[in-house]
Amino acid sequence: MRGRIFEALQARMADNPSIFFVTGDMGINLVEPIEVRYPERFLNAGIAEQNMIGVAAGLCNAGFRPVVYTIGNFLVHRCFEQIRDDIALHGYPVVLLGTSAGYDNAPLGPTHHIIDDWGAIRNLPGIDVYAPASVEFASSVLDRVLAATRPAYIRIAKGSPTIANSDNLVVDRPGSSNGPLLVSYGALATECLKAQELRSDLSVLILNKINPVDMAVLTQHLARHDRALVVEDHFGQSGLYSSLCQAVMELGIDCRITSVAPPLAFDLVVGASAATYFRRGELDATGIVQRAFAESALRNEVGHGHR
Amino acid sequence: MTSNTASPAAPVHKRELPDPIAVRRTILEMLYRSRASHLGSSMSLVEILIAIYGACDIDAIRAHLPGRDRVFVSKGHGAAATYATMHHFGLLSEDDLATYHQDGSLLAGHVSHAVPGVEHSTGALGHGLPVAVGAAIGMASSGYDDALVFCVLGDGEIQEGSVWEALMLASHRRLRRLIPVVDNNHVSSITETAKVIDMAPLSNRFGGFGFAVHEVDGHDTAAISDAIEIIRHQDKQSVIIANTVKGKGVPFAEGQPVWHYRSLDDKSYATAMAALSGNPL
Repeated sequence: MRGRIFEALQARMADNPSIFFVTGDMGINLVEPIEVRYPERFLNAGIAEQNMIGVAAGLCNAGFRPVVYTIGNFLVHRCFEQIRDDIALHGYPVVLLGTSAGYDNAPLGPTHHIIDDWGAIRNLPGIDVYAPASVEFASSVLDRVLAATRPAYIRIAKGSPTIANSDNLVVDRPGSSNGPLLVSYGALATECLKAQELRSDLSVLILNKINPVDMAVLTQHLARHDRALVVEDHFGQSGLYSSLCQAVMELGIDCRITSVAPPLAFDLVVGASAATYFRRGELDATGIVQRAFAESALRNEVGHGHR
Repeated sequence: MTSNTASPAAPVHKRELPDPIAVRRTILEMLYRSRASHLGSSMSLVEILIAIYGACDIDAIRAHLPGRDRVFVSKGHGAAATYATMHHFGLLSEDDLATYHQDGSLLAGHVSHAVPGVEHSTGALGHGLPVAVGAAIGMASSGYDDALVFCVLGDGEIQEGSVWEALMLASHRRLRRLIPVVDNNHVSSITETAKVIDMAPLSNRFGGFGFAVHEVDGHDTAAISDAIEIIRHQDKQSVIIANTVKGKGVPFAEGQPVWHYRSLDDKSYATAMAALSGNPL
């Protein structure tokens, strides 16, 4: 997906002279062509991310549209106050490109597990957050962001998943009945679709834009289901689970929401790949099905309603 | 001040500059009326800001021209001094100043970009210089080679790591039109800066980062203006270290950390105004 976004970036830099690319010394074999083609609009800010975000704000002050790239944890966690004060407060339309979302850097350990990034961003006013689930959407996300005049964070997962007809903010894959609805984004959208292959009565709703969520769309979908499971590689309490709980409460929708997400803890036991963490946390297709139907069975046994 | 705007360069260094005593009176009035703090920081800044705005094309700032000179006040708690100086340069009205720190005003106790003519909101320290560096890079990339980008920092503020990140990049990029100015008033938040982290001599710190250092009496407007003009005409990234006195002009506040926080009452206001008038009570 990253490659598609950079293809789009180079194309846009050709016809939009206000775009200025900034990297925190990341992107080997990826960013070099930008430096060659647009040396006046390329900056390697070095391993100094706080400064990099301030510099991006300054580039906006000078009339540019900066696109800032590095690994998501360096981009968000290290620079939270700079994003808050220098970008969000000023409404500067900086584009934040953060890679290695979720467990993409799995064996590198918890400093590189990016499972609490966009929840922090979500707490700031005026920043759109996108989490492409497919190469199809990744190809167009930059155009969507550049068409707006707000700051945006694009949370990029590794890999090149293909999902047919997924070049929309919301991708709806209804199941064979109105069984549980899986709501997801980014890398785990693919796991949800695999889960649907295992159980055709599961419905899947993929959100390529996760902040702000489209309340009208959510209302429409959640109202059709008794249960929804929010599947995400991010802490639920500040992630999409939180957003959906808020929507359900505010809109009075009769739908029980369950979080399928990493526990609120740092995992010090190495996993060799993201798949390991998905299995460990029941975030893979098999685990998702188990969560969807085991909880449903349990609820029926104890006589709970659908809440 | 720019090569790429309709506004031609003006001999601004020849401009008649505001009287520092008049600016300090304005600051005292603002702080007294609003019972606001940060007296010490504002008083040390006065001549620095007069020299900086004196070097700028004020009309270009007022018109918000893309190639305008830029002033970033990174020590955002110097808001009263910033707004008072802007007023004396015709960028803010008397009525605007009267609202400082009041309900419904845009003039908060830290510098705000909601105020026309202010480039960037500051308050959390260590933010202004990175933004100024970005602006300087952007200006250079746009061909505005002659515009100056000032950034005023406190000597306590430069304990923030982001300041040195920004300096490294500025030096690497040889940003010769970026002018960081350190208000070296020797007092930070609750005590003397040297007792917290002693960075003296500051000139060695900046010199080690590749900057030409211009160390001046920060209460000598002409000396600061001269340093700016030297920098304007040379091809070297430079910094001005302005040695100042926190609370300058208000004898009971000079060098006293508590006047970072304390506000003026009737008696202290009268005493301060009398001292500025040369007729101490």
